[in-house]
Amino acid sequence: MSGHGKYEGTKNLGTESGLNLKAIAGKPMTLAQVREELKGVQGKRLWRSIDELANTPEFQAAVEREFPSVAQEWVDPVSRRGFLKLMGASMALAGLAGCTKQPDEPIYPYIKAPEDLILGKPNYFATAHPFVTGAVPLLMKSDAYRPIKADGNPEHAYVKGGSDPFSQASVLDLYDPDRSQHVMFRGENREWAEFAEAFRDTVAGTGDGTGICFLSATITSPTLARQWKEVQAAYPKATLVQYDPAMAGTPYSRASNIQYALAGADVILSLDAEFISSATFPGFHKLVRDYADRRKDPNHLNRLYAVESTPTTTGMKAEHRLMLRASEIPAFAAELAKEIGVSGVDAPACAWTDEQKKYLAALVKDLKAHAGRCAVIPGEQQDPSLAALALAINSALGNIGKTVLPGGETVHPIPSDQIAGIKSLVDDLNLGKVNWLIILNANPVYTAPVDLGFPDAIDKARVIVHLGSHVDETGQIAHWHIPAAHFLESWSDARAYDGTVSIVQPLIDPLYGGKSAHNVFQVLLNEPELGAYEAVRATWRPVIKGDFEEGWRKVLHDGWLAGSAFATANAAPRAEIPKIPVPSSHDALEIVFRPDPNIYDGRWSNVGWLQELPKPVTNLSWDNAALMSGATLVKLGLEEDDIVELGANGGVVKAPVLVAPGHPDNSVTVYLGYGRQFAGRVGSGQGFNAYLIRSSASPFYTTGSIRKVDGKWGIAVTKSHYQDHRASPFTTEANKNESLEAVEALGARGIIRKATVRQFQANPNFANEGETHEQTHMGTSIFPNWSYNEANAWGMAIDMNSCTGCNACIVSCYAENNIPVVGKQQVRIGRDMQWLRIDSYFEGDLAAPRAFYQPMMCQQCENAPCEQVCPVGATVHTPEGLNMMVYNRCVGTRYCSNNCPYKVRRFNFLLFSDYETESLKLMRNPDVTVRSRGVMEKCNYCVQRIQEAKINADKENRGIRDGEIITACQQACPAKAIVFGNINDPNSRVVKLRDNQLSYQLMADLNTRPRTKYTAIVMNPNEDLEEMPVEHAPANG
Amino acid sequence: MAQIFDRSSNALARMSLVLTGLITIALGVTLDQLQRSPWVTRQGQRPDQPVPFSHKHHVQGLGLQCQYCYTTVEKSSYAGIPPTKTCINCHAQIWTNAQLLEPVRNSWATGQSLVWTKVHDLPDFVYFSHEIHVNKGIGCESCHGRVDEMPLMYEQNTLQMEWCLNCHRNPAKNLRPTSEIYNMAWESPAEDRPVWCTVLEQKADVPTAQSASCTTRDPTAAGPEVAALQLPPVSGSDAAGGNGPEALPPAASYKKFTSQYELGHFLLAQYKIRTPKDLTSCEVCHR
Repeated sequence: MSGHGKYEGTKNLGTESGLNLKAIAGKPMTLAQVREELKGVQGKRLWRSIDELANTPEFQAAVEREFPSVAQEWVDPVSRRGFLKLMGASMALAGLAGCTKQPDEPIYPYIKAPEDLILGKPNYFATAHPFVTGAVPLLMKSDAYRPIKADGNPEHAYVKGGSDPFSQASVLDLYDPDRSQHVMFRGENREWAEFAEAFRDTVAGTGDGTGICFLSATITSPTLARQWKEVQAAYPKATLVQYDPAMAGTPYSRASNIQYALAGADVILSLDAEFISSATFPGFHKLVRDYADRRKDPNHLNRLYAVESTPTTTGMKAEHRLMLRASEIPAFAAELAKEIGVSGVDAPACAWTDEQKKYLAALVKDLKAHAGRCAVIPGEQQDPSLAALALAINSALGNIGKTVLPGGETVHPIPSDQIAGIKSLVDDLNLGKVNWLIILNANPVYTAPVDLGFPDAIDKARVIVHLGSHVDETGQIAHWHIPAAHFLESWSDARAYDGTVSIVQPLIDPLYGGKSAHNVFQVLLNEPELGAYEAVRATWRPVIKGDFEEGWRKVLHDGWLAGSAFATANAAPRAEIPKIPVPSSHDALEIVFRPDPNIYDGRWSNVGWLQELPKPVTNLSWDNAALMSGATLVKLGLEEDDIVELGANGGVVKAPVLVAPGHPDNSVTVYLGYGRQFAGRVGSGQGFNAYLIRSSASPFYTTGSIRKVDGKWGIAVTKSHYQDHRASPFTTEANKNESLEAVEALGARGIIRKATVRQFQANPNFANEGETHEQTHMGTSIFPNWSYNEANAWGMAIDMNSCTGCNACIVSCYAENNIPVVGKQQVRIGRDMQWLRIDSYFEGDLAAPRAFYQPMMCQQCENAPCEQVCPVGATVHTPEGLNMMVYNRCVGTRYCSNNCPYKVRRFNFLLFSDYETESLKLMRNPDVTVRSRGVMEKCNYCVQRIQEAKINADKENRGIRDGEIITACQQACPAKAIVFGNINDPNSRVVKLRDNQLSYQLMADLNTRPRTKYTAIVMNPNEDLEEMPVEHAPANG
Repeated sequence: MAQIFDRSSNALARMSLVLTGLITIALGVTLDQLQRSPWVTRQGQRPDQPVPFSHKHHVQGLGLQCQYCYTTVEKSSYAGIPPTKTCINCHAQIWTNAQLLEPVRNSWATGQSLVWTKVHDLPDFVYFSHEIHVNKGIGCESCHGRVDEMPLMYEQNTLQMEWCLNCHRNPAKNLRPTSEIYNMAWESPAEDRPVWCTVLEQKADVPTAQSASCTTRDPTAAGPEVAALQLPPVSGSDAAGGNGPEALPPAASYKKFTSQYELGHFLLAQYKIRTPKDLTSCEVCHR
């Protein structure tokens, strides 16, 4: 077979390059060997993944063919027979299908049509996605009253149209087929009224509420808080405990709300704060937008320092990143505070390395030089002293009232110490004081700290009531289970991070008769039948000024209540700095707990889009892993994908190992939210349960043990999949400190073009100069050129300075384009279907890299290689310059994908789209075909939105206005990194960006003439610090 | 050894070669014809419907306008299907006891939809928009045929891709004034059947449906008042009252058309119909 010949070719290449002898010999290179290879080599190093640096056989195999393992079916004789049988059958069916006619299609008209519905035209409703760190105001697209797409409310001052992966995925969460569908008592279906009666009678029977205990997810709804206060007034002995595993113990849960005005910050320091990468960071949407705004003009750049204990995209975007073990960060902050001149800081003794001292000195100098124009942002998952130190530093630098705006309130109307709360609940349970335990939207059996022994304690409650979206771990043991209404199904209210009140407006009737926490509390009050709608109105009746009905309608229409933002102070509240903990010994293994970047604390385990989304930095999907540095891996004698046993706080879990570039040594990061038993068909059984080693005393990091156990886990990492066999011209000229992709990235192909501000000022045209940065030449193709002079010509500009790799665009693309979820096994063999991926290119060594993020989707080449090889004309050019896929023509030769230099085409190897599940049919975008097996697909610049705009414009006899068409990725981007428009319109935003001298085309030397252009990266490093990261890791780990 | 095949075998062999060729061709032609036959396209077929609704009776007999039932045809890709309420509007008063209307009354009483069978059913990967066609001068009749002469509804045209492309390659041959969209009996202009058209306003961004006015009566003979009566109805939200009859075009500005070719090309320019190259691009219908 031809593949064999290719493999030999690779062998030769490897030999010639002199780098990969060992790997080619068949034995995978260990990281120690990679390190050895890289040691002592100076200069720039760029790489895309550790596999690639190590050049493992797996990686070799992956670059052999674009779709690894595709040919697997042919190698194994039994499987080949099966394959032929299947093919034979499907061919016969295909032949028959060609001769059959369409089945009759019924029409079900309305009895009375709703007045404001025009079938075929979507409606838009303002609502908000309630979240523990503040609601995300949304504008939902509703087709025939089915919510099908969530996007940020473009007029809301907090989000300005941007959103995040969680909000984007809320529609799939709503239509999740595994949601619980019945009120149940001991496993039997019951009616809500039966529960309400039993509940009300019991509570009334106690007289004062003795023995009635509520355990709720953090309450963020002002109405729910009001209802609770009324319940408390009626039953003073009833208790409420709030517990959110990822929120408990954070400064935010202790009502410390600090807003940042980063527009005025020239220097930003992140102390373990994922403020531009994680939607779970309080105020993410505004922070990332303000940060990105300052990256768009190279003459007005801010500078980001990041000190962090686990690699995040915030750190990777930073000009200067310092990795520290989690327990060292408060000590480092104390050291910094002392240097800045904060009085009364008792910094624990700590042996800082020279490099750390240098970093500190440069940081102090830079911060002082920008006093009043800088901001220090502390992380949430850290010791309480860190937030106090950061505030003191900001205060000493005079940032308060300028870039740092302390406010007294958070979005939690009932702030509480959540860890103390759940401890006291467990005590009460153990003492037998709890008669009825009512659990509202929480899953404590799964999430409670392991040292409390919650699963045992809960058995001592006489009756357990569980209100939840799924019959989850808690629902399994509860006596009563009540299906919870999704936020898109019931009325509520919530505040955005800045305090602005939004009404959570339902978009659809509860699919399964779900009830909300409002209903549960209301049962105990005077009007037990009163719905959430009336309850929410009652809350705001005294607040909305003027005519209530008019004001209410305005709030619903706009999506927020004007003037309800929190007041911010110009002075820092006086706060004692708590005792700063002494860093743990370097020999102790530290385990850092973080909420998962995709599924948070496990609440979105069953949302396939989020499960399949590659996690930032590691590109891991479908699992969590013990993330560690390469040096630690070598020291422990492990290899990636090995299974280890992590022990801490009396618990042990088995976890796969994965190297995270830039992780501190002797430290392991584990994400919460995996290892679910009863999450549903998607989430159950994925990953391992990190809650089993997390204690109430140290919820953010702890010390523990690690031990290798036998076996391999089988993790799915999406990176390195889209490699082609195109190494030869590059590997030979590559020297040892650059990997194959690196040569492409910075060398001959200039995929990533970057400069420092100084370099930029010296040569503003750096992105388009030099022999490696070729321009396209019209007329050098054997194919006739298309002319785009008359029509619209669609183009895109992507600003890599703004992109922080938050993944919101990918989830938005899932929702807009009906992209299927393929599952872990298919991801492992490189068959994920995301039309848009975010490529990360690492620079520097394994221990302290910097990364560049590049959103990569179809470039809509004007001279497209894919079109020239399609034998059936299934991928064709349009007069406006799009490359279109005609799905019903595609026969699946995959030639187009082989010929695509950007590797952006996706093939439906199997029937990935779900044609069966009824609830998912409601979710689909009716304007986009649901693709079947054997069909190629790819990004098409959201052509359905283009067509919609064209029809509207043609009808009104006008041209398309700039900004009228917004692609799904552009719409979701909180950093506004993507701009789409007509490049024939000289006044359009996209033309202005594309004409910028920083703008360049990818692989222009191939003469593909891509329609997407990228803005080259300009960094603003501190000259006191070395620009290039140095080799940090000790020689032997 | 005796010959196995005698001489006549040669003739047989030649004949079978020819026959094989003929059979292959015949098979190809048959399959091709089958694909275009009413068995596949359902052209002319009348599926069973819950109520034998007569378009002929309602349109020709009673003079109901298309939009009475297909309310969103100008506003959305989907023309709309009348809710039971639309039937009941009249049938609460007339034919209240007709046996034929039992399913309608039943639907109204129980709240269960009348389940019709789609007559014009495009494949799901085809995205057709009524809105743009009726706003650009394609009449209902051009695709759906003389619905006013159909006692039971059937598909007049194949609705196959070649049929769509026929018009997308040369839209001028089917264009008509937007005022005549719902006119089932519209006929192309001819020497003995001329059409007069004028450009209403030279303002930019006037919706295409209002950018020209046409009449089948000679405006020079009857005077501008008659022409004014022929003005297209000002459609709801789009016009907002601005283009009322006060902006009467002088009779002299009317141009006479005596063939579909002339009229089609006039309207092509007036309605700014996209070029055949644009209209035959795949993404227009498939996405």
